[in-house]
Amino acid sequence: MKAVGARLPRYDGVAHVTGRTVYVDDVRVPGTLWVKALRSPSHHAAITRLDTSAAERMKGVQAIVTHADVPTLVYGHLSALGIPGDEPLLARDEVRYKGQPIAVVAAEDEETAQAAVDAIVLELEERPTLFDVRQAFDPDAPTIHEWGNWYPHFEGEMDRRQIRKGDIDRAFEQADLILQGVYRPAAIEHAPIETQVCLVVPEPSGRLTIYSCTQALYFSMGVVAAHLEVLLNRLKFVGGTVGGGFGGKVDTATETICSLLALKCGRPVKWRFTREEEFLVSSTRAPWHIELKDAVSKDGWLLGRRTLTLHDAGAYARFSPYGLTKHSFHHTGAYTIPNLHFDGYVVFTNRVPTTAMRGFGVTSVSFAVETQMSRIAHELDLDPYELRLKNANRIGDTSPNGVAYTDPSTVATIQAIAEATGHELTAEYRTMTGDHREGDWLPEHLVGQIRDPEEQH
Amino acid sequence: MAKKTGRGFAAIEYPTGMNQNGDPSQAWIKLKPDGRVDVFSGTADIGNGSKTIQSQIVADTIGVPYDWITYDNSNTDSSPVCTGTFASRATFVAGKAVLNAAAKVRERILDIAGKELEIDPSDLEVVNGEVIAKGAPDRKLSVADVAVAATWTHGELITGTGAQLNPYAEIVDPETGQVDLPPHAAISYAACAAEVEVDDETGDLRVTRLTQCYDVGRAINPMLVEGQIEGGAIMGLGLGVLEECYPYYPSVENRGSQFGSYLAPGMADMPKMDTIIIENPSADGPYGAKGIGEMANNSQPPAIAAAVFDALGVWITELPITPERVLRALDAKAAPRRAGKVVSFDEELSLASVAHADAPVKLVVEA
Repeated sequence: MKAVGARLPRYDGVAHVTGRTVYVDDVRVPGTLWVKALRSPSHHAAITRLDTSAAERMKGVQAIVTHADVPTLVYGHLSALGIPGDEPLLARDEVRYKGQPIAVVAAEDEETAQAAVDAIVLELEERPTLFDVRQAFDPDAPTIHEWGNWYPHFEGEMDRRQIRKGDIDRAFEQADLILQGVYRPAAIEHAPIETQVCLVVPEPSGRLTIYSCTQALYFSMGVVAAHLEVLLNRLKFVGGTVGGGFGGKVDTATETICSLLALKCGRPVKWRFTREEEFLVSSTRAPWHIELKDAVSKDGWLLGRRTLTLHDAGAYARFSPYGLTKHSFHHTGAYTIPNLHFDGYVVFTNRVPTTAMRGFGVTSVSFAVETQMSRIAHELDLDPYELRLKNANRIGDTSPNGVAYTDPSTVATIQAIAEATGHELTAEYRTMTGDHREGDWLPEHLVGQIRDPEEQH
Repeated sequence: MAKKTGRGFAAIEYPTGMNQNGDPSQAWIKLKPDGRVDVFSGTADIGNGSKTIQSQIVADTIGVPYDWITYDNSNTDSSPVCTGTFASRATFVAGKAVLNAAAKVRERILDIAGKELEIDPSDLEVVNGEVIAKGAPDRKLSVADVAVAATWTHGELITGTGAQLNPYAEIVDPETGQVDLPPHAAISYAACAAEVEVDDETGDLRVTRLTQCYDVGRAINPMLVEGQIEGGAIMGLGLGVLEECYPYYPSVENRGSQFGSYLAPGMADMPKMDTIIIENPSADGPYGAKGIGEMANNSQPPAIAAAVFDALGVWITELPITPERVLRALDAKAAPRRAGKVVSFDEELSLASVAHADAPVKLVVEA
C-alpha cells in the first residue's frame, strides 16, 4: 500500500489525546530551580537605578542575571538576512514596553524567586509614549527607538520597503474608477495551550541540555550560542514536540536567559511563563494599517494599485522587516495588476514586540485585498467571482517582483467554490482556465504590461 | 430588528517556504539490521503533522511499509539542520530533504540486493518491503534480508543523507523590489465562501458555513490536510470576529490576560464546513506537494466581512467584526466620499486623518 495519499492517523496523535506525550513541562530533573522575572512596569522609561544586591543575599536565591551577565547583549535573530539586532536580551538603559524583562532570578522555589524579584531595586524615569502608528511620523512625536520611529535598514539603507512596477500614473489616468479603502486587522494572541517554557540542565561534560518548546531547534540553538558566545557543540537542544506554536515559538523567549542562569549557578533551571505572561508580555501577531487605492476600468480590469502599509512592530524589530517584505511581495493577492506603487514601513511603538504568526505578513494583506475586491465588484455592479476570475493570476503573468507564475490555481479554486455553492457563472467564466492569457483575457491595454515582455508564447 | 443573513467570498494565494528562500533542511536515515528505518530530521512538529508526513514520504520513497518507519526529531545531537517549522515549509522543504535521503537509502538497498541476487541494481525495484527483479517477480529478497546481509555479510551500514535548499532570491533593485530568482518554493491557492447570520439589534454575528477549496499540490495525507484547513479556518474565524489583544487599538489598555478575558473560538463557534481539495502538483515539491499550513487562516476574514456587508450593507474594515463594531457601523451608516471617479472609503481611519500635516509619509493622492 502506498503511504503517500493515504489517510493515515497522526504519528503521535494517540499519545497527544491520551495525555502521554512528554512536553517540556513534563520533564523532571532533581534539584531544578524556579525562575521569575523583574519586568518593566512602564511602557517607556529610562532605567536610572538597578540594584539586585539585596535580592542576591536572600536565602534560596541561587542566581540573578541582568544585562551585565550577557556576553552578547544584542543579537539580531535575522542578522543572516541583513536585519541588524536592536533588542537587548535584558534591558540596560531603557525600557520600551510594559513587561520588558530587566532582571531574572533562579531560586529554590517559586515564592522565593518572586520575593527576590520584589526585592530588586528599580528606579525609572518615565518617557513619553507612542502607540498609534499613524502618529509615528509626526515631527513632534516621541522617539521610541534608537533607530527612530521606523526601521531604516532595508536594502540600500532605505527606510521603507518599496515595490515599483509599470507606469502607475498612466494606470490612474486610464481608470474609470479609483477606489480607496483603509484596512486594520488586529493583533491577536498565539494562545498556545503550552506557554513559553524551557528547562536547562548543566551537564558534567560542561554542555547545556536545553529542553525547548521552540518551533525551530537549530534556529533557537543559534540564538543561544550567539548571546552566550559559545560553539554549537556546547549546546544540545531537546524538543521537536510543541504544544502549539503558530509562530510565537520562533521567539526563543526563555532559553537564553535560563542558559545564563544555569551556567551561573550550576543547577538545572526551568522557566514556564504563567498564562498572564503568555498573554501580556509574550509577542503577538502584529496590528497592521493598510491603505489601498486601486485604479480600475469600468468593466473590472485592475489597472494599478497604490499601497501604503504601516506594520506595527511594537518596541523592537524582531522579524517584522521580513514580514513586511513578504507582505509587499504578495500585496496583489491572487491577481495580476500590471502597475504598482507600494510603500511599506515597519513602525515602532511602545507595545509588546510583535512577531511571526501563521500567515506572517500576508494574512493582513489578504484581508485588505479581498475586501477591496468585494467593494470594487459592488461599486461596478459586477459579479464578485467573475471580477476575481477576470484578474486571476495566469501562467506567464508576473508577480509584483517580476517573477512569472508557473502553476497558478486562482481560476480553479474560484470555479470549485462557485460550483460547490451553486453560484452561477456565465459560460466564459465557467470554462476559462489558468493557462497563458490570450484572446479576451489579454485586452489590448494590458498587452506588454501583464507579462514579461521578453517571454515568447 | 431582525436576524439577517449574508454571503461573502474571497480568493487568496500564499507562498511555500521562507520568503526569498535560502532556508535549508537536512535529514539522515539509517536501516536497522532487520530493515526497519530510522529517520532523523530536525523538524519540530507543532501540530502540523510533519512527523507523519515525512514518515509517509520516506516509506514510499524507499518502498517499505509506513509502519517500518521510526521518526526522531528529538534533539540536535542526532538530527541535522532544519531551519524551522514556519513559513509553510515543513512538508515541502523539509519533506524534500527526507525524500532525498530516502532515495539514497533506496539506492544502497538496491546495491546490496544486487550483490545478493547477482542482478544489476538497475534491474531491481523496492516494493512494499521487498526487492524484486523487474519482470521476474519471483526473484526477490526482503529488505529485512538485505539489511541482514549488509550488516553481517558485507560489513556495511545502509544509510543516506539528504538536504534541500532553494537558493536565496536577492532583491536586486531596492527601488522596485525586483528579485533575481523566484522568492518562494511554490505558491498555493485557495478560495472561501462564508455564510453569516447577524442580529442587527445586538450585533451578534455567527458564521454559519464555510465552503473552502485549496490547491495543495498533492495531499500527502488528505486527513491531515483537511485538519489543517478546518483548524486554520477556526483561527481565521477568530481573526475575523472574535480575537484582539487591544480591544481599543491603538490603546494598550483593557488587554485580556487569560482565556476568560480573551475570546478565542471554541467548539460552539464551529460553522458547517465543506472542504474541497485540488491537486495541481508543484514541479519541485515532494510528490508534488505545496504547503498550506499558514494560509488556512487567511481567506475567512475577508469572506466574512463581505458576508456582513451582504447582510447589513455596511463595510467593517477593522478586525475583528465584534458586536460593538457591527452596531457602531449600523449607527454611522458611513457612505464613501465620491469625487469624480474617486470613491474613498474609511477616510476616518486613514493616516491622513490623524497624522500631522507635515508628516513625511502619506498615500499619494491624485486628482
